[in-house]
Amino acid sequence: MNDSKLKRFFQDFYLVFVLIFLYAPILTMMVLSFNSSKSRTDWGGFTLDWYRQMFQSSSIMDALYNTLLIAFISALAATILGTVAAIGINQMKRLPRSIAMGVNNIPMLNSEIVTGISLMLAFLAFGISLGFKTILLSHITFCVPYVILSVMPKLKQTSRYTYEAAMDLGAGPVEAFFKVVLPDIMPGVLSGFLLAFTMSLDDFIITHFTRGAGINTLSTLIYSEVRRGIKPSMYALSTIIFLTVLALLLITNFSPEKSPASGEKEKAGRSRRETARRILLVAASFCVIAAVSFTTYSHYAAARSNELYVYNWGEYIDETVIEDFEKETGIHVIYDLFETNEEMYPVIEAGGVAYDAVCPSDYMIQKMIENDLLAEINFDNIPNISQIDPEYMERSRSFDPENRYSVPYTWGTVGILYNDKLVEKLGAEPPDSWMDLWDEKFSGEILMQDSVRDAFMCALKGLGYSLNSTDPDELNQAKDLLIRQKPLIQAYVIDQVRDKMLGGEAAVGVIYSGEMLYLQELAEGKDFNLEYVIPKEGTNLWIDSWVIPKNAKNKENAEKWIDFLCRPDIAKRNFEYITYATPNRGAFEMLDEELQQNKAVFPDWDSLTNAEVYRYLGDEADSIYNELWKEVKSN
Amino acid sequence: MEHPLIDLVNISKTFDNTMVLDDLCLSVKENTFVTLLGPSGCGKTTPLRIIGGFEKPDTGKVIFDGQDITNLPPNKRQLNTVFQKYALFTHMTIAENIAFGLKIKNKPKAYIDDKIKYALKLVNLDGFENRSVASLSGGQQQRIAIARAIVNEPRVLLLDEPLGALDLKLRQDMQYELIRLKNELGITFIYVTHDQEEALTMSDTIVVMNQGYIQQMGSPEQIYNEPENAFVADFIGESNIVPGTMIRDELVEIFGARFACVDKGFGVNRPVDVVIRPEDIDLVEPEKGTLTGVCTHLIFKGVHYEMEVTTPDGFEWLVHSTDMCPVGKQVGIHVDPFDIQIMNKPESEDEEAVGVNE
Repeated sequence: MNDSKLKRFFQDFYLVFVLIFLYAPILTMMVLSFNSSKSRTDWGGFTLDWYRQMFQSSSIMDALYNTLLIAFISALAATILGTVAAIGINQMKRLPRSIAMGVNNIPMLNSEIVTGISLMLAFLAFGISLGFKTILLSHITFCVPYVILSVMPKLKQTSRYTYEAAMDLGAGPVEAFFKVVLPDIMPGVLSGFLLAFTMSLDDFIITHFTRGAGINTLSTLIYSEVRRGIKPSMYALSTIIFLTVLALLLITNFSPEKSPASGEKEKAGRSRRETARRILLVAASFCVIAAVSFTTYSHYAAARSNELYVYNWGEYIDETVIEDFEKETGIHVIYDLFETNEEMYPVIEAGGVAYDAVCPSDYMIQKMIENDLLAEINFDNIPNISQIDPEYMERSRSFDPENRYSVPYTWGTVGILYNDKLVEKLGAEPPDSWMDLWDEKFSGEILMQDSVRDAFMCALKGLGYSLNSTDPDELNQAKDLLIRQKPLIQAYVIDQVRDKMLGGEAAVGVIYSGEMLYLQELAEGKDFNLEYVIPKEGTNLWIDSWVIPKNAKNKENAEKWIDFLCRPDIAKRNFEYITYATPNRGAFEMLDEELQQNKAVFPDWDSLTNAEVYRYLGDEADSIYNELWKEVKSN
Repeated sequence: MEHPLIDLVNISKTFDNTMVLDDLCLSVKENTFVTLLGPSGCGKTTPLRIIGGFEKPDTGKVIFDGQDITNLPPNKRQLNTVFQKYALFTHMTIAENIAFGLKIKNKPKAYIDDKIKYALKLVNLDGFENRSVASLSGGQQQRIAIARAIVNEPRVLLLDEPLGALDLKLRQDMQYELIRLKNELGITFIYVTHDQEEALTMSDTIVVMNQGYIQQMGSPEQIYNEPENAFVADFIGESNIVPGTMIRDELVEIFGARFACVDKGFGVNRPVDVVIRPEDIDLVEPEKGTLTGVCTHLIFKGVHYEMEVTTPDGFEWLVHSTDMCPVGKQVGIHVDPFDIQIMNKPESEDEEAVGVNE
């Protein structure tokens, strides 16, 4: 008795455990989508703001529309192609059939990245410009094998005699196919369609390589936001998608079951199911058609010959600024996102898409200038350049020596964030030097940036060298220092620094100043303060600036764009959205005094005397860094 | 001679370099039940599929009612097929299955409904209109397949081992059903089977096939009683095939013993094959038998006993009798002259496969 109770308990426990394992992550996301705080660890109260923001964000809605449209069309096309192919393959003799099936399986086993790159190369080689249609073609391409795979077993189950029987009863080949064979393999065709639909919906890698300017699917949009942390409105969207799928599953599973009873009842059940399915299909197609016509209409309404291709970081502009720019100038903006400099560079270099305005970081601008990828800006067209504090133009000279190619957009520093209470508890002084990150008292309480240049910057600056050093001896010393630090640190992380520091999990962390405003806001009401300090040895001062690629087709529009962004009111709006420091004096003067005094965001220039801007060090130095970094990480 | 409904003229067919039919000629008269009988892989299904239009012969012609239909697709032919695995349309009800051919021909609804009722009655499945295919037993499915074919009023019904998947009792019932149907409908049946009992029960004419050739063609009685070669004799029923010598007309010598028979014209002292059916052997007292042997095997089979009698030359005679002979008993073998069937000894493989044309 007791035994069976115990057994029962473990059975239930195990089931619950598995369910938690499967659904806890999704539940977390759903809860966070209602969290009024942007933090991933703190509950700031219930809100529907993210849902509102999601529906208002044209980039999310566009991406959603693209995703669904591409998924639907590619699944439909792949289903037709795949079904026809499967029928053909099924008719083959054994040997050619197994060869055909083998050939069919290769693309599925093939790494997606290879498929993606080869598709991109093929499109470029045949002069097909990347865009919506290339994503569509690629998705059809990779979905076809899955359809074939799902139709094939149904075809094998279907007796070839049913087709012959239909012919025998007077049906022509086409009639026999549609009346007899197709209904027989319909379950396979449908599951092939659904499989293709979800594969297309989920795909990131292939889409990433084959998409062109100004077009995003949900996956590429979310990816482009990684740098600044994914917006909670994405949680809202994911929640809605998850619930939709759940609802569909429930509907399909709880629709009237096939009753084993014979006669009228069965027929009635069948036709009810049939009707339900038909209504569902009609409704679905209606939605798709409505969505298509609506967006086509709005796209046509917006389409003008007067265009501007912008390539920017994800989450790096107040979207209403784009709308205002379009309204004021009548220029249609095609807005595209990247998420690392290294991802942006080859796109510009390949020139598959001619962007007009791009916003890279300092060292990357230097590399682009050196490789002759940028056009000189005609500053006569940018009267608002006077709003940019000359200090930043001066700083920019380290990567753009004559200030001919770039206009600063945002800037910031890298510093140490510390938890004042924890530091006190550990009996340490508040840090003011990079070498404090080597203080034994902080053992297990240190968070480092998981990026090669940032990690070496801490060590090089700590040793008193330049953060752009290429001297092998200096680099080796830095490496040894980093290896020595490893037992002390809690983790190498990227944007978890934010959450961990907020949660009081670590005492000190290396962080970008751009996060500060937002972090301090969240830390209000906690029993500790998060303080930001720029170490006395100096740090990395980074600047992201607008540039115009040499192959830009709308250079004057790009200059209008840059000028627009330099307007103080616009710069202020962008600052408030991005929260990264603005180099715009006019905008700065419009800010609250409290903000102006925030030393974390706008540090005194005195504290920046030793600060340097990252420079592009060349391929050779790059590989030395990477080698040494590998040693540090593997030690 | 009455002109045949179907004429296969010099049909040859090769699959993957294997000759399945070699210069086959076959005529089927209107309103007969013709069975193509042979072991599996003997090429008996191929003529059926050629008549149905599912295969094209490599050479030769298919003549239907005086017209060459060799290149006509199946949907244009005035005949219907009942497939081995029924090939019912599982996504349709029984009524929809039966109505399929009629709907294609755009028959009026009232006509179709009448036909469905009539056909279901004919195959003894009244009231099954709205049942699903899956809810039917194998025998019922087979009858629906037949109903689906006959509502189209074909002039010929092709049946490809239609009873192969059914159990013995059902198979026997269906055999009677088919005979009844054929008589009621008055159409020509071409039936393919490997089951000799089925063939003997139902057919007007049996065509025994092996290795792409027709071995013998005739009425069930002819095929059974007068097999023309060892293959037919062996395939149809059980038989003792023993080498013998034709001493002269109406006298044959087997293992040194002389038997009176009724066959003539084989010449003098010619080696021949002798067929004696096991039920035609009478076991008698040793001194009364033409040959003597020892009973070496005994099994009770229900209707009769099956025994083996070994003669001194080592041949084991298969004997069916309602009288039992215990194992080890010395017996004599007696055969009546009209129960002895003499066949020419084949001189080569080729000669064994004789093409027959009526």
